[in-house]
Amino acid sequence: MRQIWVVLRREYLERVKTKGFIIGTIAIPLLMIGLMALNIFIAVQAAGSDRELVLVDFTGRIGEEVAGRLGELGYDIEVAGRETNLEELDRQVIEDDLEGYLVLDDLTLSEGLFAYRAKDSPGSTRVALFESAVNDVALENYLATISTGESLRSLIEGGRLEFESVVEVEDQEEAEVARVSGMAFGFGGAMFLYIAMLLYGTFVLRSVLDEKRNRVVEVVVSSISPWRLLLGKVLGVGSMGLTQMGIWLACAGLLLLVAAPMVATQIPGADLARIAEFVPGPGVILLLAVFFLLGYFLYASLFAAVGAMCATEEEAGQVQFPLIMLLIIPFVLQSATLGGGSMKWMDWVALFPFFSPIMMFPRAVEGAVPWWMIGLSMVFMAAAVVGTSWVAGRIYRVGILMQGKRPTLPELMRWIREA
Amino acid sequence: MNDAAVRLSGVTKSFGAHTAVSEFDLDIPRGTILGLLGPNGSGKTTTIRMIMAILLPDAGSVELLGGYPDMKRRSRVGYLPEERGVYPKMKVIEQLVFLGELRGLLRKDAHRRAAAWLDRLGLKDWAAKKVQDLSKGMQQKVQFIGTILHDPDLLILDEPFSGLDPINQDVLESIVREERARGKTILFSTHLMEQAERLCERVCMISRSRKVIDGDLRELKRRERTGAVAVEFEGDAGWLDRAGVVEREEVGDAWHLPPNRIAPDQLLAAAVREGVSLRRFEVLEPRLHEIFVRHAGEDAAEDEGIKPPTEAKGGVR
Repeated sequence: MRQIWVVLRREYLERVKTKGFIIGTIAIPLLMIGLMALNIFIAVQAAGSDRELVLVDFTGRIGEEVAGRLGELGYDIEVAGRETNLEELDRQVIEDDLEGYLVLDDLTLSEGLFAYRAKDSPGSTRVALFESAVNDVALENYLATISTGESLRSLIEGGRLEFESVVEVEDQEEAEVARVSGMAFGFGGAMFLYIAMLLYGTFVLRSVLDEKRNRVVEVVVSSISPWRLLLGKVLGVGSMGLTQMGIWLACAGLLLLVAAPMVATQIPGADLARIAEFVPGPGVILLLAVFFLLGYFLYASLFAAVGAMCATEEEAGQVQFPLIMLLIIPFVLQSATLGGGSMKWMDWVALFPFFSPIMMFPRAVEGAVPWWMIGLSMVFMAAAVVGTSWVAGRIYRVGILMQGKRPTLPELMRWIREA
Repeated sequence: MNDAAVRLSGVTKSFGAHTAVSEFDLDIPRGTILGLLGPNGSGKTTTIRMIMAILLPDAGSVELLGGYPDMKRRSRVGYLPEERGVYPKMKVIEQLVFLGELRGLLRKDAHRRAAAWLDRLGLKDWAAKKVQDLSKGMQQKVQFIGTILHDPDLLILDEPFSGLDPINQDVLESIVREERARGKTILFSTHLMEQAERLCERVCMISRSRKVIDGDLRELKRRERTGAVAVEFEGDAGWLDRAGVVEREEVGDAWHLPPNRIAPDQLLAAAVREGVSLRRFEVLEPRLHEIFVRHAGEDAAEDEGIKPPTEAKGGVR
């Protein structure tokens, strides 16, 4: 046990102390958060740089309504009538007493066209807000002249599908939210698992290959059994992975905590409560951790075997191809069914242990499969972990001390039989 | 528990069609220094790897420190493989502590011992440097420390001297002698006969995957004596002719006489009779290289260029 711990600690510390790890784990997320914060800051600045505007209403019909709409979005609008002296307003703009003013006229009523007069062109956020407000009001005004009901307006706004489950659900709306967020977690989780298994699997491969290439492995296996060495190595890289993911999760949490309320208060229309619905609960995170661990162990030992078989990184790049295919296929299958298309036979494909992390996890969080299937997939994965580590351990044992030519398939079978 | 640190009986190992070691028997008594000699590719490393159970023999048995070479016994061995390997990105001291801990030392003990050894081998200032920043020779010394750090009962050193400068070779030799004086057993392989001659108590020669000869070095030399003589004297060499010496060779101030019709004691008697003022009269012991060639044949010696010792430092004592 102590030996495994010694190997684990070396593997962990040597990785965590590298520049690559520090940059990849801490600096990049921080940089990304920084960029996002900057982006939000600029957007907020642009949207709210000066919210006091004048609206000149030549129509005499929709000015107050538009001002009201913009008022809801946080603008302070002073409505002026058709007697307004535009030259006077232009002068105020030039002298920086006023940022700009809107002009609504008959063209606004018939075609939704209106003018914004200022020194600087408005930001895209402002254009979108103004356009939608003016257009809405102009449309309503037009509809009011030809009909009285709201029905026509609804139709013009476009079709809308409301999903209704035929199974009894207590709160239809809540169920819908759960479905959408489940899909988001499912897909996000699958993507995350795909990246994590590939990334940390490759780390294990590299670690084995390095030890083999710089020949240090001969000294090491003279003092520790290859099994323990392999286990310590896989656990060490895994701990490093958990650390890295922990830091990333913390960063993501920080981002939500800090940035989300900022966005919500500054950008009109954003709803904080809706963002909160997209924070995964502890159950989802636990499930993700279980799938990650099983998937990682499943693939890590195989990546180690590939490392033990090869002599150079180029070679390893070729030999690991089948493993990468094993990761890509379920990802492609999963992406194809994204959005809830329910092909039931796919649920059975998801039981294949090498596909389970990427295919069963999303099904589990979406609640698309019965619980016994989730349990069964975990049992299958655990069994596969035992199987692959048995095979991989044998390849590893022989391979790490071999130099030169990569083994052929029959030779590989002999290693597995005889080791 | 028997008195042999290592015992091989009938050990054979093949790789495909190539037989690397064939029916090999060897006993290494505890507390001796044994040199495993032979040209490159003669099976030295394969033998050592089988002793360390890195390779398993196809036939025959290996005993290490009185039993099957399991992990527990192997942890009492200090093993320096032929292929030198280090973790290039680790710090020197951390690497040594890691190796020490792997063999059961406590962290702080490993640290203390590593520091002491680094100090002794003149690497104190390099302890916190990365291994890759050290020269090849220094890396090799670090590796040697890694081998000996856990105070093993048996040292197995595969070509320990190759790549070291003469000063560091001497340091290493003196450490080996010290360990021997502390009752440890040392097995080292080399293709440098000269080194073996200086250091070994016992030798085992292999050629073309078979053992050629083994035994106590002095005994072996006595047994292999041919009657060659070295003499140094004042005056001219005429008395040698009169005594019946046919072949002779001048080496520095001395004359080397290959085995002659005349026995060494008769030659000495002749010198006394003639009143030659002798400075030196020595019955030469055969050099290991000669013994090897005699038993393995010239072909084997030339296989992979086994080096004869240089004349200046040869077996003349």
